[in-house]
Amino acid sequence: MAGNAVGLGNFLRFPRQAAANGGGSFMITYFIALILLGIPLMWIEWGVGRHGGQYRKGHLPGMFAALWKHPLAKYMGVVGLIVPMCVMIYYTYIESWTAAYAWFSLTKDYWGITTQEGMLEYLRSFQAIRTEGGQVYHHTYTPYLFFLGTLAINIWVLSKGISGGIEKLAKIGMPILFLLAIILAIVVITLPPQPGIGASPMQGLEFIYKPDFSRVDEPGVWLASAGQIFFTLSVGMGSLQAYASYLSKKDDLVLNGIATAATNETAEVVLGGTIAIPAAVTFFGVAGAMAIAQGGSFDLGFATMPVVFQQLPLGNLLGVAWFGLLFFAGITSSVSMLTPVVAFFREEFGFKREQTAWILGGICLVFGMMHVHWLQYGFLDEWDYWAGTFGLVIVAVFEVIVFMWLFSPKKAWDSLHMGADVRIPSIFKFVMTYVTPLYLLFILGWWGWTDAIPILLNKKMASGAPVVAENIPYITLSRGIIVLFAIVFLVFVRTAWKRNGYDDRKGFIEVDQSGGV
Amino acid sequence: MSTGAILFMAFSWIFVLGLTFWSFYRLMNLQKHHDPDGIGPAVPPVKARTE
Repeated sequence: MAGNAVGLGNFLRFPRQAAANGGGSFMITYFIALILLGIPLMWIEWGVGRHGGQYRKGHLPGMFAALWKHPLAKYMGVVGLIVPMCVMIYYTYIESWTAAYAWFSLTKDYWGITTQEGMLEYLRSFQAIRTEGGQVYHHTYTPYLFFLGTLAINIWVLSKGISGGIEKLAKIGMPILFLLAIILAIVVITLPPQPGIGASPMQGLEFIYKPDFSRVDEPGVWLASAGQIFFTLSVGMGSLQAYASYLSKKDDLVLNGIATAATNETAEVVLGGTIAIPAAVTFFGVAGAMAIAQGGSFDLGFATMPVVFQQLPLGNLLGVAWFGLLFFAGITSSVSMLTPVVAFFREEFGFKREQTAWILGGICLVFGMMHVHWLQYGFLDEWDYWAGTFGLVIVAVFEVIVFMWLFSPKKAWDSLHMGADVRIPSIFKFVMTYVTPLYLLFILGWWGWTDAIPILLNKKMASGAPVVAENIPYITLSRGIIVLFAIVFLVFVRTAWKRNGYDDRKGFIEVDQSGGV
Repeated sequence: MSTGAILFMAFSWIFVLGLTFWSFYRLMNLQKHHDPDGIGPAVPPVKARTE
């Protein structure tokens, strides 16, 4: 589970979110979100998943229907299919960047580029974004090749059902990634101030940790921190529930849930926060780091770390190891994202795993290519905003309402403690019943009014940048595809319920843990 | 670094590291660790029935 949670969110998305949302202001809201949203939702998701597993349901529509005997329940669960599908598509594309940068490190392709402008130009060149007068380092087909390869590996892993093998490999790979991250963090912290910049790594840490309340009144900062907590813990994605559906009543959800969250947070706060931002501030200054962060959801790590590697002995091999392990960590996460979707088609339509995986792979290929092709028009940022941030919050709102309110707080609390040797502090019963849902609804309302509506009306881009008229058709198409996914999954869920003769008011029959009915 | 930043950083690190060490200590000692491998059951799940 920790292998699933630790991924690109820790080392690539977190630094960018922190830098783009005010550093210290972001961290204050981040920790509030961790305690009031992340940890409670981690337990809730494991609880929802294990309860669904008792009825042989590995997907959110089925899990919700098992918890709340109402026709609406299954439709609320549809968000648990749309979000992982959308996120997996663009996540795989980002994952392919890590594979590409591992290759570029090995071949020392970026060696000699040490300025902010140069590294961004290099990154844009790889992304096939051509600017007037900009230097071209790569063929336009390069990002397509890496994306195709990465997607093929993901789908192959999923189709062969060898994600168990990947998880076993993760038990070796994750400690190596942690070790490498510790080494890099030490290297970054001891970097000398760079000529012409004058900033030190400590200024990077100061930027992140200086208690700063100047942007705490911005709803976008609260949503960004909540979105990051969800993304990094894989909460609101549907995958934790799918994995938890295989747990028995004897398993300790409480302790496993907190261990997963804590491991991920150590990777993110202690290591993720000590590498990319201090390095970016050292080489490009605070303003430069923030400018890179505003440029794209995942750019900071790719524009910064190659500069660090060039300063180190055997830096290219360290680069291969770093980006290679990130690629590996990404695969464990992206494969898990399609797990609930595969579970849905296997359980409700009797599809074979391999067949489902390759069909989904074809869909990912078509829409993933759009991300590769139209990245410069904000196509990916739009999905990261609506699916990777807003969508996760919606899933969380629905599941906390269904589990804690409709299933009832007492039954939910008892369900979480089945097989647990550790008790959740009683205060969290109040938090999970009232604070978490109200917190979620409050930020959704506040953020919706001040941030989402202007974005929806094209008054600003999802990345926060001003809207360029040329981008609007691509942004509209990007949103249209998410709506299309929603319609298609709603139809599939309706068809599945009719086909299998489920009665919404009666629910499902509980099955025992050994596989019998 | 300012005193405020040092204190905030120390608090953050102690919190996440403390939680990690505590939870893994309990997991190792209670021997209740269960890490689902993500491959699902050996055979396709049995279709659920309605009552």
